Amino acid sequence: MEYVNPEGLRLDGRRPMEMRQLRGEIGVVSRADGSAVFEMGNTKVIAAVYGPREVQNRSQQLNDQALVRCEYSMANFSTGDRMRRPKGDRRSTEISLVIRQTMEACILTHLMPRSQIDIFVQVLQADGGTRSACINAATLALADAGIPMRDLVTSCGAGYLNGTPLLDLNYVEDSAGGPDVTVGILPKLDKVTLLQMDAKLQMDTFENVMQLAIEGCKAVASYIREILLENTKQLESRRGV
Amino acid sequence: MVGLSLGEQNFIKGGIAQDLRTDGRKRLTYRPISVETGVIPQASGSARVKLGATDVIASVKAELGKPNPSHPDKGKVYIYVDCSPTAEPTFEGRGGEELSLELSSALQRCLLGGKSGEGAGIDLSSLSIVKGKVCWDLYIDGLVVSSDGNLLDALGAAIKAALSNTAIPKVQVAANASSDEQPEVDVSDEEFLQFDTTGVPVIITLTKVGRHYIVDATTEEESQMSSAISVSINRQGRICGLTKRGGAGLDPSVILDMISVAKHVSEQLINKLDSEIAAAEARDEEDEMDS
Repeated sequence: MEYVNPEGLRLDGRRPMEMRQLRGEIGVVSRADGSAVFEMGNTKVIAAVYGPREVQNRSQQLNDQALVRCEYSMANFSTGDRMRRPKGDRRSTEISLVIRQTMEACILTHLMPRSQIDIFVQVLQADGGTRSACINAATLALADAGIPMRDLVTSCGAGYLNGTPLLDLNYVEDSAGGPDVTVGILPKLDKVTLLQMDAKLQMDTFENVMQLAIEGCKAVASYIREILLENTKQLESRRGV
Repeated sequence: MVGLSLGEQNFIKGGIAQDLRTDGRKRLTYRPISVETGVIPQASGSARVKLGATDVIASVKAELGKPNPSHPDKGKVYIYVDCSPTAEPTFEGRGGEELSLELSSALQRCLLGGKSGEGAGIDLSSLSIVKGKVCWDLYIDGLVVSSDGNLLDALGAAIKAALSNTAIPKVQVAANASSDEQPEVDVSDEEFLQFDTTGVPVIITLTKVGRHYIVDATTEEESQMSSAISVSINRQGRICGLTKRGGAGLDPSVILDMISVAKHVSEQLINKLDSEIAAAEARDEEDEMDS
């Protein structure tokens, strides 16, 4: 099947180096300490952060840092075919773990010992790149909750089909069986915190694809920064500053 | 949620007794309702309803299936509610399962009628394609994104809006199918039938706090309730389902009184909801034409 036609356009009309449309909003779940919704094309994810709060399970309490927990769940209607089990299956458990490790690395947990930070991510629509959308949404939600972080964490995926590196794969491109590289970075510190890949790729091609994903992450970072700035301006104007 | 102090509890109860609740509403006033339809593009129909800080999404997916042998001329409807942990940290893992099951079965009771499918709010015979062989299966999924009380009413409204938004594809049945074979069905991609929702009821929950009943309780107010009744009423003013929750016993005359209050409130709610749904559909069409 042709994923990049001779004119260089992908199935949804994008160029190989083009990301899908991004859209983010803060403060969607009013009961949560921090929340955000993040869309990458048709993939739509809500993240809610509860914390720092008292540890629920005393045996898990850490005396020198905060406990970070994360749960990833997909809505029944999020995929094309209706899903039976929204959570608890192996993929959800794996992604929960990945998100937790990524966010834990950037939260300044030593500032909040003996406390717990819960990150809940709910996928409303899945169209490829859910992992990345979840991490981006979680970053926004943590910022909304005012939890101290080393840097923003942004994530984006890239693949390689028909001999071309492609940025930000959607579901159809992802199911093509080609490699899928997901990268998460700390943009200001310029460090990679998350790197996952499936399928096979030549070493030098891999470098290209990873670079492309990192560029995508930086683009997401500047968008997220814009949203946070806009949010702060609104808060200022509401306070009458 | 942090527990309420004695002073706060008295404040809530006292306010309700004086017909002035903590957010300024009267006892029988609903919070502002906002409805958005078509939020899930890959579903046959969907809607998102916000009732104050309560936020729920309902989606309807229509798939071809075989009718139940005991009811060959009726389609099947499955209602399933999921409570997302984003609404409450306690819904994490299997914590939300109990509430999800309670909401699912309450909704099924209100919308689907008895075991034989009689008296259902949704007309199941309209879902039949070929008697005894092929029918539509409707999977209605609800998701609670944010919870601030009155989940049942919000889910009922969301399901009603989602059904209004549902477009079932037109089906061509192969005419020369023999009686014992599975007939060939051609599902049209182009033509759709709008689902008829005039008979779909809404759910009104009346929460009894002290000696008075309130409509549309927030989580704080629900924590002070002695008991609650959820009544499902349709446009004709007929009761389609009834659920009582809460441990305190209720005098039968009080129940009858609550039901009549619910009927009275339902007229306003149905009108408000219908106008919101119509406005949402109009906005949805405008967006489609623009894009």
